[in-house]
Amino acid sequence: MIFLNQLLQGVFLGGYYALIACSLSFLFGVMRIVNLAHGSIVVLAAFLLFVLADRFEISPWLALIAVVPAMAALGWLLQRFVLDRALRGGLLVPLLATFGLAIVLDNALFETFGADTRSLSPFIGDLSFDSWSLTDDITVGKMDVLILGSAVAMLGAVSLLLARTRIGRAIRATAEDPGTVELIGIDARAVYGMATALALAMAAVAGAFLAMRATFDPYTGGAQLIFAFEAVAIGGFGSLWGTLWGGIALGVAQNVGASIDPSSFFIAGHVTFLAVLVGRVALGRVAA
Amino acid sequence: MSEPHHPPMIPRRGALIGAGLLLASGRRARAAGAAIKIGFVSPRTGPLASFGETDGFIVDLARKALAGGLEVGGTTYTVELLDRDTQSDPARAGQLAKSLINDDGVDLVLATSTPEVVNPVSDAAEAAGVPALSTVMPWEAWYFGRGAKPGAPSPFKWTYHFSFGVAEFAGAYISQWSSTVATNKKVGVMYPNDADGNAIRAHLAPALEKAGFSIVDPGPYEDGTNDYSAQIATFKKNRCEIFNTFPIPPDFATFWRQAAQQGFTKIVKIAQTAKTGLFPSSIEALGSIGHNISSGCYWHRDFPYKSPLTGLDGHALADGYEAASGRQWTQQLGASLALIDAGIAALRASGNPKDKAAVAKALSTLQTTTSLGKLDFTKGPVPNVCATPIIGTQWVKGSGKFKLDYVITENSGDRNVPVSAKLLPYS
Repeated sequence: MIFLNQLLQGVFLGGYYALIACSLSFLFGVMRIVNLAHGSIVVLAAFLLFVLADRFEISPWLALIAVVPAMAALGWLLQRFVLDRALRGGLLVPLLATFGLAIVLDNALFETFGADTRSLSPFIGDLSFDSWSLTDDITVGKMDVLILGSAVAMLGAVSLLLARTRIGRAIRATAEDPGTVELIGIDARAVYGMATALALAMAAVAGAFLAMRATFDPYTGGAQLIFAFEAVAIGGFGSLWGTLWGGIALGVAQNVGASIDPSSFFIAGHVTFLAVLVGRVALGRVAA
Repeated sequence: MSEPHHPPMIPRRGALIGAGLLLASGRRARAAGAAIKIGFVSPRTGPLASFGETDGFIVDLARKALAGGLEVGGTTYTVELLDRDTQSDPARAGQLAKSLINDDGVDLVLATSTPEVVNPVSDAAEAAGVPALSTVMPWEAWYFGRGAKPGAPSPFKWTYHFSFGVAEFAGAYISQWSSTVATNKKVGVMYPNDADGNAIRAHLAPALEKAGFSIVDPGPYEDGTNDYSAQIATFKKNRCEIFNTFPIPPDFATFWRQAAQQGFTKIVKIAQTAKTGLFPSSIEALGSIGHNISSGCYWHRDFPYKSPLTGLDGHALADGYEAASGRQWTQQLGASLALIDAGIAALRASGNPKDKAAVAKALSTLQTTTSLGKLDFTKGPVPNVCATPIIGTQWVKGSGKFKLDYVITENSGDRNVPVSAKLLPYS
């Protein structure tokens, strides 16, 4: 029974990783950019929500209505003024640009907000630690259900958008070959701008749940990046639903590792990540 | 220094030239003596920044107090405090110390807050032969962690440290857990696989067992772990009514929320945290499940001691900080001020603050009172170290302008510190 609970919590943990990873996965799928500033952007959104909640007493749920579009706008600017130029410089430059952006964001947040540990949990009542007890050993956290649900909803919405809408088709076509789509009258730059806006909107949602589930400070971003990246890698680069399965595989592997020995939490996750990568290479199915 | 190109390999020569120049310029200004330079290294930014948050305020206080110079043996020296930020990076801490020693020619290095700052600074000072004093990290990790052997003579000639150690934690915990809250004496522990966690597991857990507590230890975990269901299940199965942990703050928030989700916090009567819970923000971030978490402090605004340098007692220091910053006082205020208090006391006691050997010798036998209380380097527990107390405390719902109040619940470490509240059960 205890082991079953471990597995269940692992699945929920995976949902959290997937939620954090959505934006990273999408941006890579469309623009082939590994956004090393992803963690810092998520934390930036968390800080915006925190300011609205703490200074203006706006519930984080309501505040999302303002913060998601704001982050989307920021995404468009980011593409226009940073990523667009960086993309012209080859493969390495976007990597360096986003790495630099992460450092700038972290330290700007520190200068503005100081070193304090914050959380949105105090602004949402008991939700972040409330739960349903199924048996003595098995409990389901309400926040965990909400996070997994949001991850599925967000991935579903983006998949639908890509599959069914005009913008979606334009994004997919641009991802395939930005040069060719320009020939048929699609402005690749505008598509990239929209894609980055969408990615940052997703990062804003991730930031909200990060800040409700746990705590954050200006330097929290980096640690979030690695699990998001592993979830994307395990699920297959560029595959949105793969990111969900990748996150869950990572979360379950970590929890199974921890139930054998608490110190194997990370190593179990990393080994899974490596095994999947090596497995892909061995099978000759390297996505990218 | 006038020679930008002198090789850093020979700091002694550089320091002599520097001292000569300073003497010359001092003579021009007044008949009195030279300038003393003191380096102050702490983490002001980066993940450890909550330790360094109050240091700007403390350094300013000290600069004001030292504006008229420092008189030692009939000579008045001007004092320059050079404060440096490690950005929470141990490698940078070591480089800053070397630069203070070689480029600025400091006469004394002060360092505070966590092994990531103190150990590299102490190592650099020891290697360069410059006296250094430090605080706020368990002294075992400072003394044994840097290569000293139990029972053997101290390998350190230049570096000194005053801080709490495992024995002080054990004393405070045993006193705290035997006070007003009745429990089944079963202690669930979460000690991470890092320098602090391993030292605590090796030394604190046996001391607690000796005092009649039974320890339930699921084993070391890595910092940054995101799920603790396995440990929570173990604690629930064993019905641990006391919980003790030494985690980094984000890990504790994740753990404690999960513990609440999975019903462990309903069992816990005393939740005793260290490392997390030193500063109000990490407990505030927990929301309502942060109320009544117990902690231990190395300084508190109710400490009855005056800082000899600034003349401020605990209340004046804390109130001054709150007025200047608009933020709640933290326990680092008293520790950082005590570090400067003690450094100045050693310079005074040396007879000649420009003589590095004399300053180091003064540190080795230093007896002085600071905002932390009495420091006595002649008593051990080992050479180069003075142990300072841990006082049991609890975070309770705030009654004034801040969300939480930090009350003293036991004083076995220093009976002069007044107990201000009875320990309340967590649940």
